[in-house]
Amino acid sequence: MDPFKFDRRNFLEIFSLTTLSALVPKKIGWADDFRNDKNIPKQYVQNRDTPGFHIRSANPFLGVDMQNWGLAIGGMVKNPIGLAYEDLFGLKMHSQISRLKCVECWSAKAKWEGFRFEELLKQVQPDPSAKFVYIQSADSYYESFALEELLQPRVLFVLRMDGQPLSRDHGFPLRLIMPFKYGYKNIKYITSIKFLDSPKRNYWASNGPYSVDGTIQPGVDHPLDLDKKPLPINGGEVFHFFDERPGKKKGV
Amino acid sequence: MKGHIFITFLFLLLISLSSCDSRSVKQISVEVPAGTVVPDGMVYIPAGEFIMGDAEEPGTQGGKLVKTVAYLIDLYEVTHEDYKKFRPEHSFHPKRASWPVALVPYADAESFCQAEGKRLPSETEWEKAARGTDGRKWPWKIYIDHPNNGFSGFMPEPVDKRQDWISPYGVYGMGHNVWEWTTDDYTPVGREGKFKILRGGLLQSHLTIKFSPVWFRNWMNPDGKLNFIGFRCAKDV
Repeated sequence: MDPFKFDRRNFLEIFSLTTLSALVPKKIGWADDFRNDKNIPKQYVQNRDTPGFHIRSANPFLGVDMQNWGLAIGGMVKNPIGLAYEDLFGLKMHSQISRLKCVECWSAKAKWEGFRFEELLKQVQPDPSAKFVYIQSADSYYESFALEELLQPRVLFVLRMDGQPLSRDHGFPLRLIMPFKYGYKNIKYITSIKFLDSPKRNYWASNGPYSVDGTIQPGVDHPLDLDKKPLPINGGEVFHFFDERPGKKKGV
Repeated sequence: MKGHIFITFLFLLLISLSSCDSRSVKQISVEVPAGTVVPDGMVYIPAGEFIMGDAEEPGTQGGKLVKTVAYLIDLYEVTHEDYKKFRPEHSFHPKRASWPVALVPYADAESFCQAEGKRLPSETEWEKAARGTDGRKWPWKIYIDHPNNGFSGFMPEPVDKRQDWISPYGVYGMGHNVWEWTTDDYTPVGREGKFKILRGGLLQSHLTIKFSPVWFRNWMNPDGKLNFIGFRCAKDV
C-alpha cells in the first residue's frame, strides 16, 4: 500500500499525531526546490504580477495532486479526523467579499466562499488547553495562529473564489482567508491543521522580516482595482471608500 | 498654606535639554489643588488651554487653542496584568505581564475603566496629556529617528519602559506602544457607520514616523480587536 495515496480508510488508519506532520511534505509531488532559483519552470505556481490579483508563492511547486490530497485535523483533540475534498462541501458554507492585503503593499478584492472554523471544531472537539493552531500546506508552507483568531468573524476556510473553485494559483483545493491579516497569513494548499497548547512560528517569521502575528498595520495600501493609487488604511481589514462594509450581522 | 494646601507633582527629569541626558523630557510642574486626590498610577492634568491639532494637518483641530477642565489620566496604558484582574480568564505569556493589553474592543475597554471607577478619555484629553501646552509635535518634543527597518509586525513593550519618551505631564506611551480608544465618535465624510477615534503613536512598528505626531488621528470600528489597539483610563476631578 502506498501510505500517501489518499484513501479515507487508509487515511484514518495511519492518522496519528506523528503522522500528521510527516504526512504533509511526503504526499505531494515536491520534487524540486526552486526557492532560491530564478529559473522556475513556467508551469510551476510562482510569483506573478497578474492584473487584478497578483500571485505570490513562497515555495514554487506544481500544485496539489488531488489523488493524494486530504485534510488531516489532529493534535490536542478528542476526535482526530481526515477529510476528503468532497467532505468539505458538506459543511455549512458562507460567502463574503473581502480584500487580500499583501505585506508588499498591494491589495485585491474577491468574493470568497467557504466554511468557518467552528465547523471543524464541532467535529474534532479540541482540548480546552489547545489555544493555538498550526496549519501546514502542500507547498511546505506553514502558519501559526491563536485559536481565537480563527474564530473571528470573516475568517473563512475557502473552497471557491469569484464563483469558481479556487484556481491552482490561489490555493486549490483549500485556503484560509483572514482579511485582517497580511496575505502571508492566508495560507494556501492547506493539508493539515493541528491543535497545540503553545504557539509555533510561521514560515515568514523564520525566513524573512515578517511577524508571526501579521495583523495589517495602519499605513498605506495600493489597491490593484484602483491602479495602485495610494490610499490610507486604518489597520485591520482593509476597506476603501469604494468598498462595501459588512453589515452588523456577523459574517454577512 | 491657608485655604488651599498645594501638593506639587514635579516630574522633572531634566532641568534643561542641554544638560545631563539630552533625551530626557522637560516636565511641566503641576500643582494639585488641596482636597484633590490623585490615585496611584494617575496624573493630574490641570484646567486650561492647550494647542490642539496642527495648522498643516487637515482633519485635526488645526492648531487652535482648546480649553479643558482639570482631569486625571492613567500614567501608563492598561497592562495584561491589570486586565486579568478584571477578566480572570484573560491569558498572556508571563513575560508580557507589563505589556499593554490589546485585542480589546471598545465596549470591553469602557467596562474595564468603569469597574475601576474611571472612564475612557476623550481625544481632547488624550492629546493634551500627550503634548502639554507648548504645541509640540512629539510627546518627547524632539524628533527621533524611526527605530525600525521593515519588520511587518508590531512590537509592544512594557508600558513603563521608555522614560525618555514620556509626555511633558509625565505620561508614558503617548507616542509609541499601542494606539488607544477614546470616547469620540467619528464618521468619515461620505460614509455610513459610527467609528471611534484612536490616538497614539505606534513608533516601534514598521510604520513611518508620520503616524506618531500627537495630533494624528485614526479611527476604527468599535468592535475592532487588533493587536495595536489598547487603552488607558481617565477620571473626572
